[in-house]
Formats: sequence, C-alpha cells, structure tokens
Amino acid sequence: MAGNLADQSGNLVESHKGYDLRIVIFYPLIALLLFVLTGGLAYQQFIKADVHQERERMQSHRRILVPGPRGNIYDRDGRLLVGNRPRFAVVLYLDELRREFRDEYIRIRKNYRESGDRDLPSAAQMDLLARNSVVQRYLDQVNDVLRRDERVNATELRRHFLRERLIPYTLIDDLTAEDYARLIESLPVRSPLQVYTSSTRHYPYGSAAAHTLGYTGIDPDFEAQDFPGEDLTTFKMKGAVGRSGLERQYDSLLQGEPGGTIFRVDPSGYKINPPIERRLPVQGGNLTVSLDIDLQLAAEQALVRTGMAGAAVALDVATGEVLALASKPDYDLNDFTPRLSHAKAAVINEAGAWYHRAIQGIYPPGSSFKILTAIAGLRSGAIEPDATVECTGTFRVGNRTFVCNNHRDRGEINLVQAIEKSCNTFFYKYGLEIGPELIAQEARRFHLDQPTGIELPHETRHMLVPDPEWKQRRRNERWFPGDTANFSIGQGDLIVTPLQMATFAASVARGQTVTNPTLLHEPGRTPQRSDAIGLTAAGYATLLQGMEQVVSPTGTARILTTPFMRIPGLTIAGKTGTAQKRAEGGKNVNFAWFICFAPAERPEIALAVMVEGDTPGEEVAGGLYAGPVVQAVLKQWWEKKQAAPARAIAFNSPE
Amino acid sequence: MPSQRFDQARPFLTLGLVVAVWLFLPVAVKGLLRASFFELQAPVMVSTSYLRDLQEYWGLRVHSKSELIAAGRDLARVNASFELASQQNTELLGEIRRLEDLLRLPPPAGYRFEHARVVRRDFSGWWQRLVIRKGRNHAIPVGAPVVFTGGVVGRVTEVHAYTAVVELISSPAIRLAAAFEGDQRPVSFQGGINPTLATPRGAIEFVPLDIFASPGAPRRLVTSGLGGVFPAGLYIGQVTKVEPSTDGLFKTGEVVLDARLSELTEVTVLVPLDPS
Repeated sequence: MAGNLADQSGNLVESHKGYDLRIVIFYPLIALLLFVLTGGLAYQQFIKADVHQERERMQSHRRILVPGPRGNIYDRDGRLLVGNRPRFAVVLYLDELRREFRDEYIRIRKNYRESGDRDLPSAAQMDLLARNSVVQRYLDQVNDVLRRDERVNATELRRHFLRERLIPYTLIDDLTAEDYARLIESLPVRSPLQVYTSSTRHYPYGSAAAHTLGYTGIDPDFEAQDFPGEDLTTFKMKGAVGRSGLERQYDSLLQGEPGGTIFRVDPSGYKINPPIERRLPVQGGNLTVSLDIDLQLAAEQALVRTGMAGAAVALDVATGEVLALASKPDYDLNDFTPRLSHAKAAVINEAGAWYHRAIQGIYPPGSSFKILTAIAGLRSGAIEPDATVECTGTFRVGNRTFVCNNHRDRGEINLVQAIEKSCNTFFYKYGLEIGPELIAQEARRFHLDQPTGIELPHETRHMLVPDPEWKQRRRNERWFPGDTANFSIGQGDLIVTPLQMATFAASVARGQTVTNPTLLHEPGRTPQRSDAIGLTAAGYATLLQGMEQVVSPTGTARILTTPFMRIPGLTIAGKTGTAQKRAEGGKNVNFAWFICFAPAERPEIALAVMVEGDTPGEEVAGGLYAGPVVQAVLKQWWEKKQAAPARAIAFNSPE
Repeated sequence: MPSQRFDQARPFLTLGLVVAVWLFLPVAVKGLLRASFFELQAPVMVSTSYLRDLQEYWGLRVHSKSELIAAGRDLARVNASFELASQQNTELLGEIRRLEDLLRLPPPAGYRFEHARVVRRDFSGWWQRLVIRKGRNHAIPVGAPVVFTGGVVGRVTEVHAYTAVVELISSPAIRLAAAFEGDQRPVSFQGGINPTLATPRGAIEFVPLDIFASPGAPRRLVTSGLGGVFPAGLYIGQVTKVEPSTDGLFKTGEVVLDARLSELTEVTVLVPLDPS
C-alpha cells in the first residue's frame, strides 16, 4: 500500500530537464505587457496628474456662499431709512449627524426585524425614517426650551438633505429676542444645534417713502467676486436683490460682498472640518439720500388726511435735491421681508398702490400751467405786465363758449389778478394771441416734455406737450383754436408728472428754466444753473406778485391764510389748479394741484402737490385739497428752518 | 532571541491592548468607570479640603485678641450696612410683588441658596472649573447657576455623590444670555481661551450697533434673565472693547471677568425651586 502511494506521488511530481526554449517567446510578450502597464500607469500618474487632481477636487470640494448684508440708506440728516434687522433661526447642521443617522438606521432595522414584520421598508425608506427621527429628537430639545410643539416637515427635510446638506437646516425661523436668549443659554456650545443669524431688510418708518426707497426680493443666484472655486458644486444661502426704487437703482452699491467657505467632503457628501478656504461677508455701501424724513412724513400724513390718492414733491430750490417724494396709497415695506404674502399683494393691487404717482402718474396740470402760459406771453410780448382783460365769466372761441373759473370777480382783470384768481378768460384770450407753438416751445424749454432723469427706475416717458404738428401727426386732425384755449389753461392733451411740476416751480423760483432733481444728498452741493427764464425784471416781478397773491385772503389758496393754516413769518408764492379728465360715464374726475415755492422773496423750497379726485362729478379744487398738504410740508420745513442756521444762496437774474 | 524581543515589546503590546479594549468598550461602561473613578477620588479631595479648612482655622487662631476685636468691629459695620440694604430690599420686594399682582404677572422663578466650599480649582488652557463640596447629597442639579459676591461663577456640569463640578464662565464651554446694564437687549456671552494665571476674559456677540465701550469707558455686563437659567442682573464682567463685525449687523466685544474667580473659596449654588 505504502509502495503504491510512493509510486503515485512520484508520478505526480513534474520534472524539468534543461531549459525549454519555447518559453522564450513569452518573455518579450510579458515584457511588452508590463511596459504597456507601467507606461499607462506613468502616463496617468505623471502626465494626467493635473486632470485627476482637478477631478478629485471637483468631487471632494464643496463651496458655500453666504450673502453680505446690504448697505443702509440714510436721510439727509443721517436718520436710518433702510437698514438690516437680525433674523435669528435655530438650525441643525445635518452634516455633523452622520453617525447618529447610521445608529438610528440600525436601531430601526433591528426593531423591524425583532417585531417579525414581513413588510420591511426598503433601505431608502429606513434611511428617511432615521433622518426624520434624529432631526425630530433635536427639534424636541428646542421645543422643550421654547415650550413649543413643532414637528419636522419630512418633505422639506428630504429635499434639504439631498440638495443642500452642507447648509444648516432651519428648524425654526425668525425667533424673538427672548427665544434666542433662551436657546443660547440652554443649548450646549458644541452641538449640531445652533442659533444662526442672518440679516433681513428693515424699514424703521414702515410705509414712509415706500415707492422711492423700494423693496428687495430673494436672490438665489448671487455670486462672490474673487472667491475661488467658481467651478465647484456651490450651495448658496438666500440673498437679496433690489426690485424697485432706490433699492433697485443702487443695487450694486448696496449689495454686500458675499462671504464663503470651501469644505472637503467625504464620498457620502459629509463635511470634513476644518474648511480649506473661508471669507467673511462684508456689508454693502451706505447711501445718503436727499429726503428729509420729517417732510416726507408730513406730506404723507397730509395726503392720507385728504382721503384720496395723490402725490407730493418737495425740492430744494438751489440744488434740486428732493426733500420729499410721496405717493399715496402705498404699502408697508416691512411686509416684503422675507416675502410678500398673496393676501397683502392683493390688497396693494386693489388699492392701486404699486404706482409711484409722483414720477409715474401723468395728469393734466390744469391752472397751475397758467404760470407757463404767462411766461410765454411775457417773453413773446403778447402779454405786457400791465395787460388787462374784461372778464364776463364766459369766453367765446369760434362757435364754442368757454367758462371762466373765476366765479366771484368779474370785470377788468390784469395779469396779477388773473394768476391770483385763476381767471381762465385772461389766459384764453392771451393764449390765443401767443399761439400753441410758442406755448409748447416754452413748455419744452422747461423740459416739461421729457423725463426729469431722477435716479429712480420706471420714471414715465409718456408726458406730453401737444402742438398742432403733433396733433396732425398722431391723430391726423387739425388743431383748433379751442385746443389752444384748453392748452393755455393746462387742459386738453397736455399731461405731466407731479415731479415735473415741482421742477418747474423750482426753476421759476430760481429765475431759470431747468431743474434736474436728484435723490442723492451732497452737503455743500453747488447750486444748479440753467438758462435764465428770460423775463424782464418787471415781467418777473409781476409774475411773482401774482403768485404771492394766490396765497392771500382773495387768492385761490386763501385757505392757507386762515388762522388754522397760516404759517406765521412765511410768504408763499404759488398757483393752484383744478384739472378735469373725462371719466367713464361722461362725468369729469378732478385733479387738484398746487405748485409753489417759499419764502417768496428768497425761495428755498419748491413744492408740487396733486390730489386725485375719486368720484366723477365731485368738485376737488386745488386750493381746498392740495393746499393743506402744501401747508403741512411747509410748516414742518419752516419750523426746522427756524431751528437751523441760515445758508447763503445765489441765483441767476431772471433776464 | 525571539522571546527576548517579545519581552522587550511587551509594554507596548500591553498598552496597545489596553487602548484597544478602551476603544471598544461600550459608552455606558466608560461612563460608569469614569464616575467610579471620580467617586473614588472624591473622598481624597474632600478630606484635603477639610484639612485645609482646619489649617486655616489654626492659622486664624494665632491672631491676637486685638486683631479679632478690630475684625469684629469691621464686621459689625459691614453687617449694619447689609442690614440696611436688606431692609431696603424687603421694601423693594414688597413693591415688586404689589406691581406684579397689579399686572397679574406670574411669580418669578425662585431659588434655594446652597452655599458650598471650593474643594479644588482646575485652571488651564483646556478647562476652567471648580469642584465644590456639595453634590447629590444636597440635591444640587446639573445646570444650576453658581454665583459669588462678585457675580456669576458658572454652571454645575457634573454632580457626584458628595461633590459637584462647576464650569466657570471663563470657560469657552459656557455661553449665556447677557445684557448691558440699563439695556434690555440680549447679547451672547461666551468664555474665552484663558491661559493659566492670566486675567480671565470672555467674548460677547450680537451686540447692537449703538452700544459703545472702551477701556476708558467700560460697560457693565450682567445676566439678562431671559435665558431662564440665570436670574437677571447678576454681574458678569466689564466690557472694555466692542467693534463692528464685518457683516455690519452687530458688534463683537471683549469682557474682562472678575479676577477673584481664580481664588474662590466659597460659592453659592442657586437651586431652582421649580425645576420645570
């Protein structure tokens, strides 16, 4: 038996005698294969190293961008109009919970198996359950501290986990100061649960200057200049972008500089600390605007008291700086943060409050335009300073009878009285003598046919100074003398914005023709200069006298001389207007106007106020409705001026 | 030869084995071992502190009667002033209660005061804590605030049978809701990294932009009471510097804490009467 085994084993042993040359042919083949392998390895390691490094970087690096807080907006006296409010939220850093998710997953799976449940959830479902369970546990810690009963939104959590895992998951947003204080004292310092601070826009004056200041919207796609890793997978916290008003106009200045962090992540997407790169966000630039919040509030409150829609503009006569730019109805800017609700948007829509009436509203200026007709007449020689008209209450143009607005005083009316009492007859007569071309030319000289160029988006471009050529071109109709009569009293097709009328008032006050309004405040700004108004001293004096008489016991703005409305020590030169526009149903809607400047002898502030009549057929007269708004603004301005030191101003001569 | 090499490597192998066993031990067992170690160590620490008290007692015995009489007189003066302050406090408390009744405010959280001797102080760049001579035997709970005559000391972080560990406010592991004296708005206070023997310092965050402080015009920082752990108005430290953060939303600042924190011998634990 033993011998057999030895024989068998001896047969199994392979023996080589000498060297088999046939194997030699395999050597080059193996060498070639090895060479190819080594060469390939070397190629990948040395030649394509950069490509692999880049791929590794793209796969394992993640970038998180945090927006910089926006800059503040201050009024001309340094009072905060728009700032940032801290927004506290309690957040959970999901990327630090990897181990807890895994342990919870194991526990859930074990429970299912022990319970003998045949209907086992899939691994993905158990993963989801584990995440919800862990996050709810942390949320319960917060609930205990804040005595709340918040529940995890599973859908939102899943979305956040899959798409934005490196960004902290917000459990409860917009905490009160008390909640925030309770949490920072109760939560462990080293915990995935933290109080997170972000900034949100805050408007201390609520709806004041709402259209002018503007609002912001969510910007999900901001970029961080000069921060590396543009090509990396990037997660962004929500930023803000200016959507209207100054917020939009100066968005690039106000926009903060985003900060960011670049992390290395493991293959499952969990963060590996510490970050490779970090930059803190920096607040955007501040903006100081020319608005005076006291005047702005005075204008808005007075407009609200009229109970109607309207606009009010106040300008610094010398510099063109806008002191107040009000439009009613409006909206509370704080309703826009973090976002405007549908219900509030519907209320704004219904009230027509989106509209910035001061720069977007186009209205016939009515009798306030008579100042321009008077200037055109005085310059052309059609009106002499001592010119008179016999007013009978009606004026016949062709076969049409025009009614005079001045119902109280008939008889001989001179220019001063015509302005004081807003006599239509005077301006019908001389308007026809001046001619529509000259009146239109004069209006264009004051830039009433073009936008003012104020630093706000969406200023209307639809203002219109009509003339015969325009009517022929646009409507293919002939210009009638009746059109001239209407035009000379600011009716017909003539439409302008309240801001334009304010610049017109400021220009007349300076004895010039153009005022470029600006919303930027610049201490010591050089007074504006433009072409002189081109009137003789006598002509200009007559014009001013008429405007001063408007605010006298016999003028159309006599309401401002009543004991309740009078501003002691302040002389006002102005002109009221009541324009009509045909509304649905054939009745007219009135627009009450008041343009003025003060002090009349040395003008510093110019105003234009327009109040929209809301009921067709209702008499909404300029003096009665727009007058109190003017009075409120001027009273506020005068009181502030009395308390402040005077400044020297030099104007052009009127010639 | 191999056996000799094995003998030489035995300490390293043993150490590795112990480390491996420790690593794989369940957390509960580790916690139990740690607590047991502390409980075993506690009698030694407590005995040492009693001996130290005895030593101080005999040290005081060597003072002359004249010194004792002078000290007694000083104490009587201090007592008199405290008596007056106490009467004023009683009147103020009555007024506060009357106003609370008028406004129908819920009664504020009450505390039981548990005075405790300091057994040991641990100050290093790693931790800043005290061990006090009272623990579960006096129903001291974890998280209870600890104070002394100069203000806040810290919070109880561990409670053992006869001792408790207090994390000092100079420790970075402590964070509380503070406020500037005379200002209601809460700010976040956190202890700093404090080297041994250095004046303890902390940091404040979320300071409103209209708050100013400088070494020449420091501001007092007190507890806000909003956090629900510390009662309001307890002194924390002097804010000597605040500067705007880059995001322009808040300021951050530095708080100089009471130097006596490093030489405390007696503290008071505020045990909430209503633990909820």
